[in-house]
Amino acid sequence: MADEVLFEFFHMEIVGQFLQSARKDEKESAFTKLEFLGYRVGQRLVERFTKEVPRFKDELDTMKFICKDLWTSCYKKQIDNLRTNHQGVYVLQDNKFRLLTQISEGKQYMEYAPQFLAFPCGLIRGALSNLGIASNVTAEVSAMPACKFQIQIQRL
Amino acid sequence: MTVFNLYIFDRNGTCLYYVEWNRKKHSGIASQEEEFKLMYGMIFSIKSFVNRISPSDLKDGFSSFKTSRYKCNFYETPSGLKFILNTDLNVGNIRDVLHQLYSNIYVEYVVKNPLCELGQPIKSDLFKTKLDEYVRNLPIFATKTN
Repeated sequence: MADEVLFEFFHMEIVGQFLQSARKDEKESAFTKLEFLGYRVGQRLVERFTKEVPRFKDELDTMKFICKDLWTSCYKKQIDNLRTNHQGVYVLQDNKFRLLTQISEGKQYMEYAPQFLAFPCGLIRGALSNLGIASNVTAEVSAMPACKFQIQIQRL
Repeated sequence: MTVFNLYIFDRNGTCLYYVEWNRKKHSGIASQEEEFKLMYGMIFSIKSFVNRISPSDLKDGFSSFKTSRYKCNFYETPSGLKFILNTDLNVGNIRDVLHQLYSNIYVEYVVKNPLCELGQPIKSDLFKTKLDEYVRNLPIFATKTN
C-alpha cells in the first residue's frame, strides 16, 4: 500500500518541480524533460520485466505486453482498450488512469491533465524502444480520469 | 435522523470546507467567515477546557456535545485536521464515520490530488461529489418525511 503511494506522491512532485521551475516560454521543454525521464525509466523497467518472458511474435504481441504486464506493474490495472489501424498506429485507452483518478471526474482541472501524462508517454516510448520499436507517443484526455495514448510507430 | 452540516478545519483554524444539508436555522451572522471563526474558537476552547478539567487521563479527548436540539460530533486527526458534523440527537457515536470521511475521502481526493493545495479551502468538484454521496448514503442521514 505505502509503496504505491510513494510513487504517486513522487510523480506529483516531479511534475510540480519541472513545471514550476519553467517559465512560460520554457513549458515545452519541461514537458520534453518529463517525457525523457519516463523514457529512461521505461527502458530500464522493460529490461527487468522481460527477463522471464519468451520472445514476442510481432508488434501486436509487444503491444499486448505493454497493455497487460507493464501497465499492471506500473499502474495496477490493464489498459482497457487497444486499437490499431494495422499501419503502425496504436491507440491505448485507459478509462480510469491511476494518476488522474484523484484529480477529477469530468472537465474540472482539464488544463492540467497533459502535465501528468508526459511521464507515462515517455514510459511507453522507452519500453517500446528497448523492445526494438521506435515510436512517437502522445496522450489525449477528453474527460478525466479516462485517457488515450496514441502510439505512432516509426518505420525506417 | 438527519445530518445538518459539516465543517472541516485545518491545524491553523482555516476552514477548508463547509457544506450543509438540512440546516433550517442560520446563524444570522452576515459573513460565513465569521461563523467559521466562532465555530473554530468554540471547538478550540472546549478542547482545552476538557483537557484541563478532566479528572483522569484522556484518551480521545473531546468527541461530542449535545443540546436539546442537536448533537455536535467532533473528530481530530493527529495532524490537527478537525471534522465537525452536526446531527440530530438520535445519532450515536459516529467516530468511525468521521474517521472514514477523513481517510477515504479527504486523504483520497485532497491529499492525493496534486492540484489541491493543502491548507487552502478545497475547490475540487470530485471531492465535493464524493463527500456528498458518502454522507447522503449514511444510515444516519435519513431525513424525516413529515
